[in-house]
Amino acid sequence: MKTTIINIIWILKISWSLLFIFFNFHMVLGQEDESMEDAKIALDFVADTDSKFIVATATNSNNEPIEDLELYFYVKRSFSNLPIGDIFNATDENGTVKIEFPNDLPGDSEGNVTILVKVIDSDLYNDLTIETIKKWGVPSLPPDQFQEKRSLWAAAANAPIPLILIISALIFSIWFIIFYIIYMFFKISKIEIINSKSY
Amino acid sequence: MSKQGEHKQEFNDRREKDLLRHILKTSLSYKLWVGFLILVILIGTYGYYRQLKYGLIVTAMRDYTSWGIYISNFVFFVAISLVGSLFSSILKLNKNEWSKPLTRISEIIAVSAIICAIVIIIVDMGRPDRFFYVIKYLRIQSPIIWDVIIISTYLVISLILLYTSLLPDVALCRDRLTAVPKWKKKLYRIMAINWHNDPKQVAMLQKVTKILAISVLPVAFAIHTVTSWLFATTWRPGWDSTNLGPYFVSGAFMAGAAAIIIAMYFIRKFINLNAYITESHFDKMGKLLVLLSLVYLYFNINEYLGPAFKMVGVEGEHITELFVGKYAPMYWFVQLGGLVLPIVLLLFKGMRRSLPISIISTFIILGAWFKRFLIVIPSLQHPYLPIQGVDESYLHYNPTWEEWTITLASFAWFLLIITVLIKLFPIIPIQKHEHVSKRHPILNFQK
Repeated sequence: MKTTIINIIWILKISWSLLFIFFNFHMVLGQEDESMEDAKIALDFVADTDSKFIVATATNSNNEPIEDLELYFYVKRSFSNLPIGDIFNATDENGTVKIEFPNDLPGDSEGNVTILVKVIDSDLYNDLTIETIKKWGVPSLPPDQFQEKRSLWAAAANAPIPLILIISALIFSIWFIIFYIIYMFFKISKIEIINSKSY
Repeated sequence: MSKQGEHKQEFNDRREKDLLRHILKTSLSYKLWVGFLILVILIGTYGYYRQLKYGLIVTAMRDYTSWGIYISNFVFFVAISLVGSLFSSILKLNKNEWSKPLTRISEIIAVSAIICAIVIIIVDMGRPDRFFYVIKYLRIQSPIIWDVIIISTYLVISLILLYTSLLPDVALCRDRLTAVPKWKKKLYRIMAINWHNDPKQVAMLQKVTKILAISVLPVAFAIHTVTSWLFATTWRPGWDSTNLGPYFVSGAFMAGAAAIIIAMYFIRKFINLNAYITESHFDKMGKLLVLLSLVYLYFNINEYLGPAFKMVGVEGEHITELFVGKYAPMYWFVQLGGLVLPIVLLLFKGMRRSLPISIISTFIILGAWFKRFLIVIPSLQHPYLPIQGVDESYLHYNPTWEEWTITLASFAWFLLIITVLIKLFPIIPIQKHEHVSKRHPILNFQK
């Protein structure tokens, strides 16, 4: 009898512990879901004669400025994003942060660059990425193919003429033979049964 | 095809029966073998799925060792594919009659190897979906483009070479094999392109064979020479050599001949072709293998003697690493077990019998694979610019399980293509559309 009671007590204890863990787990998850909110970021681009600045203003859902929010600024490049600004860029009491945009970043042929502003891993706000295209880069003109000297390291259009001739001649001669053989097979297939030998 | 099917089939003579029988009969060992190969391929496919999902980070390749076992394997397959030209061109043009029954085996191996070489190079690409950029943004100055061009050309030539020798036999299959499934009949009918042994057709096919025998040789030499230039045009110790082209080509012929011997052994055993692939073939292949190995040994001495005598800078470090360093066991296994010892052993007649020569050839093939590993990896680990401040993992290369399973799957593909082609077509030429000497014991085998 005593053993049964002890067993029941143990079962109750374990069940209670499990329920407690389960309940707490949901509490934690619930807390995260409820407390995380979306931040709003407004971007302002200020350019004077010498320098260019990006001013970002972060506000919450009640349009109140968010203080001390870490923002990350990038410029999209071919393989990854180039970080710009300081190492840490946190908003001030007005919810703004100002960073300088480098003057010498290459853009596309018209000078367009893609600027990314991100909120990453904040305790209070959800991750966010804002993408803006701005004509702040240095226009990258395609290399002048008429000026470039023909060489092994030049662009495809400026390959050395002897190389083009040799490779083309080789490809042409071998593929001519291949097509000739295919034509021969075609002719073989067209020969009708006259005087055919038995196996 | 069931045994019943085989009984329904009638043959004109013993030669036909011997050489077509395996197309009708599917043994349990064949099914098990195919099942095993498919299993290896499936495991490799899972490894490749992981590579596609997570990127090349699942491999052990990093900034320095950017070509790993995939590229070693690619060079190996390109090497093996050269064997088609050895039989269909060199031996044929030299009027060697003994080698004719082995021609088709060599052509099948060549086709399978070149397909696997193409597949493995795409596996090595982190973004295979961008393969067509290679064509779209083609730069004729790049040796990689030369390789892409020559490999695709060689694939087409190898397929034509195989098809040319198969054509009369495919027509024979179309006309004789009545007890085969419909799809096979249809396949033979389409492939036979109205071939009916017409003298005009025979004359044209002989002309095609001659043209091919001559034109395949420069292409075959080019394919492996260009592959060697991928290395020779990159400034790394061990690759900065004018010897690399002939060194690769001679190594390829040796590996190819060894592959043929192994294939001959198994085909002879499992398809019961003792009367067609005789001990005399093994003996002659053994002598040929000694000759090819000696040529390769000569180029090996040339390749290592100069740098080892001078021991200059990084080149010296590279040689030290191979001779007495980390790669020494593999290096000496390759040079002694896979080259010197086979040459010595094959000088004895007894060693040129089917079983011993097949075992020796297996060592040559293993040596050939590891040789490609030694050509690719240690060189990459010794760049001319000093290595500074890099992650520890950049300094070593130990292939991951994904790389091994994918590599093994490529071997399984190689063997599967060979197996399926052997199962579909006669492996020894039955029809003699070429001029054959009346004295020849093998090709004129009658009941």
